[in-house]
Amino acid sequence: MNPLIFTTILMTVLLGTMIVMMSSHWLMIWIGFEMNLLAIIPILMKKYNPRTMEASTKYFLTQATASMLLMMAIIINLMHSGQWTITKVFNPTASIIMTSALAMKLGLTPFHFWVPEVTQGISLTSGLILLTWQKLAPMSILYQISPSINLNILLTMAVLSILVGGWGGLNQTQLRKIMAYSSIAHMGWMTAVLVYSPTLTMLNMLIYIMMTLTMFMLFIQSSSTTTLSLSHTWNKTPLTTTLILITLLSMGGLPPLSGFMPKWMIIQELTKNSSIILPTLMAIMALLNLYFYMRLTYSTSLTMFPSTNNMKMKWQFETKQITLLPPLIVMSSLLLPLTPMLSILD
Amino acid sequence: MMTYIVFILSVIFVVSFVGFSSKPSPIYGGLVLVVSGGVGCGIIMNFGGSFLGLMVFLIYLGGMLVVFGYTTAMATEQYPEVWVSNTTVMGVFLLGLLMEVMLVLYVLKSEEVGVVFKFSGVGDWAIYDTGDSGVFSEEIMGVAALYSYGAWVVIVTGWSLLVGVLVILEVTRGD
Repeated sequence: MNPLIFTTILMTVLLGTMIVMMSSHWLMIWIGFEMNLLAIIPILMKKYNPRTMEASTKYFLTQATASMLLMMAIIINLMHSGQWTITKVFNPTASIIMTSALAMKLGLTPFHFWVPEVTQGISLTSGLILLTWQKLAPMSILYQISPSINLNILLTMAVLSILVGGWGGLNQTQLRKIMAYSSIAHMGWMTAVLVYSPTLTMLNMLIYIMMTLTMFMLFIQSSSTTTLSLSHTWNKTPLTTTLILITLLSMGGLPPLSGFMPKWMIIQELTKNSSIILPTLMAIMALLNLYFYMRLTYSTSLTMFPSTNNMKMKWQFETKQITLLPPLIVMSSLLLPLTPMLSILD
Repeated sequence: MMTYIVFILSVIFVVSFVGFSSKPSPIYGGLVLVVSGGVGCGIIMNFGGSFLGLMVFLIYLGGMLVVFGYTTAMATEQYPEVWVSNTTVMGVFLLGLLMEVMLVLYVLKSEEVGVVFKFSGVGDWAIYDTGDSGVFSEEIMGVAALYSYGAWVVIVTGWSLLVGVLVILEVTRGD
């Protein structure tokens, strides 16, 4: 793609999300979502093969449907309250429709079906943008309408997302699908605590974005999209096998790594609000996630699978230099002692 | 009939939307889009927005739909699908028509309708005031406000349109 056009389109993706996050008028938010959607389509389609085109089409269709639902909720809210500001959604119908629309944009169950298919069909860098940046805008709107969200619907979607994210990722060997199911599960954790304490949603979003960025960059550096290809990284850069181990265990939510922080805080907040069964279920279902992360670490860093001699040399172009990788790795594994600092997110 | 003209025009609006949502060939979709654009213009004009109705006719129908019609005519197939040619299309069209007819009967028969919002019968659809506040018409004031207080909206929509063109060119470029 022409570099000037690519820069313009990438800046428009950023501009769309910024407009969503800083507008106080519902119409501008909707315009921001549409701008974001329109501009990310050519980024998803960077390579012109039928797989990327199919993935971009699926993404466009689901997100356009979600935008239409959001517009209907905005108009119902306008009809019942007579004003366009975001602070409170005055009508329960509008609130439910808005929650469903934003869940479709995030990829929460039962609207999660597009996430693995779209993530699998696009390149690793596009998948990175899809699973990290594109979650910011809907989550910011959920944060802003969180006082008026129907608790039953949101909690149902959250718990089902954690279940589907864990269960669905079990049978996958393609790394992009694994990251997609991990994204579904993390979105479930984030929205479960949204009504109780939106600060923790933002904390979880921050840590999740850092860990997902790290994982994707490690995949990009070893140019691997399947588990088999990832298991050959011991040959090219042995250090990244250890880093993959640490980051994956952090994503699974194991102490003393930083991925434990959001889960710990969320469970604490939920139990403070006298719901015991729910966080127990969520913690148990997070074990499913941990299982397929551990399977990745097993094949990558803990064992060397028997393979023929000519498969042992992993061929790739010249070594990629990813400048942001070391700080990201440090942040996604060592942030747990900084937990008292989460008060800055208020 | 003139009292309920907005209601009648809205029904025709929905029926034309059903007409193109049942997915005949795009050329016939463009045909019902013309009808729905004209009817939408009528609805806007009944609320006093004569300028905006003219905009719909000129820009939407006379600009965008003409371009759409030309490009569809270039890309059309030998036997385009009409509503009666394919059983699926006809079935969906009839289903949409049936649902609209049932909704209209529900609105006409019952005193108070409460689907998502409450309105009491057809009387709520009649227009009592055209929104003139004093000397100026409300809709011309809205257009003026768009270019003064709403400058940011104009910038954002202009940028979206530009990026829309860039995106379309990029997507259809192929390799």
